[in-house]
Amino acid sequence: MATATYPPPPPFYRLYKDYLQNPKSAPEPPPPIEGTYVCFGGNYTTDVLPSLEDQGVRQLYPKGPNIDFKKELRSLNRELQLHILELADVLVERPSQYARQVEEISLIFKNLHHLLNSLRPHQARATLIHILELQIQRRKEALEDIKRRREEARRLLKESLGTLDGQ
Amino acid sequence: MDIISQLQEQVNSIAALTFNTFGTLQRDAPPVRLSPNYPEPPSNPTEDSANFADQPKLMSAALVKAAKQFDVLVAALPPSEGGEEAQLRRIAELQAENDAVGQELQKQLEAAEKELKQVQELFSQAADNCLNLKKPD
Repeated sequence: MATATYPPPPPFYRLYKDYLQNPKSAPEPPPPIEGTYVCFGGNYTTDVLPSLEDQGVRQLYPKGPNIDFKKELRSLNRELQLHILELADVLVERPSQYARQVEEISLIFKNLHHLLNSLRPHQARATLIHILELQIQRRKEALEDIKRRREEARRLLKESLGTLDGQ
Repeated sequence: MDIISQLQEQVNSIAALTFNTFGTLQRDAPPVRLSPNYPEPPSNPTEDSANFADQPKLMSAALVKAAKQFDVLVAALPPSEGGEEAQLRRIAELQAENDAVGQELQKQLEAAEKELKQVQELFSQAADNCLNLKKPD
C-alpha cells in the first residue's frame, strides 16, 4: 500500500476520454463492496458486527456455533473482578508495572461489550417473532368478529323475513 | 430499558467505579514511610486520616455490589432457545401462517361487504315501496 503526502489522483480518468461521444466505451462503476475491505490503512467490514479479530482484539470466550451467553458473561465477570484485585496488588508492590494489568482489564471489557453486542441480532429476531405472533392473534380475532357479525346479520334478516311473512 | 441495554449500562458503571476507586485512593492516600533510612514523612492530620480509612471499604463494597448486580441481570436474560436457524425457521412459519390468516380475513371481508351492499339495496327498495304505498291524501 503506497502512502504519499500529496498522492496524484487515480489514473482512471483517461478511460473516460470518449465518454461524451460513446457512453459505452468507458468501464462501468465497480459494484458495491461486501465483506471486509481496507480504507486509508484501516480495516472495515460491511457486516453488522465486526468480529473481535477484525478489530485486532484477542477473543477470550470460546468461538463456536452456539455460545452459552449466560455462562460466558458470568465467567468474564469473575475474570474482571480477579484482574481488578491483581491491579490493586500490583499498585501496592510493583507500581511501575501497571500497564500490563490495565491492558488486561480493558481487553476483558472489550470482550464483554462484544459479547453483549452479538446478542442484539438474536434480540431483533426474537422481537420480530413476537410481533408476528401478536399480529396473527389480532387477525384471528378480527376474523372471528367478522364471522360473528355476519351470522348475526343473517339471523336478523331471517327473523325479519319471518315477521313480515307472518303478517 | 431492555435487558441488554441494562447489561451494557452495568458494565460501564463497573468500569466507572473501578477507575474512580483507584483514582481516589491514589490521589488521597496519606504518605507512608518507605525505608528506615528516611525520616518519618510529615503527616498533616487534616480530614484525610479521619474519613480516609473508610474510603477503600466503601468503594470496594460498591464495586462488589455492582458486580453482583451484573450477575443478577445475566440471570434475568431470557433463555436462548435454539440458535439462529431455529429462529429463522420460526419466522418463516409465522409468516406463512400470517399470510394464510390474512387471505382468509380478506375473503370474509369481501363476502361481508357484498352482503352489506345487498342489504342496503334491499333496504332502499323497501323504503321506496313504503314511500310509494303511502300516497299523500
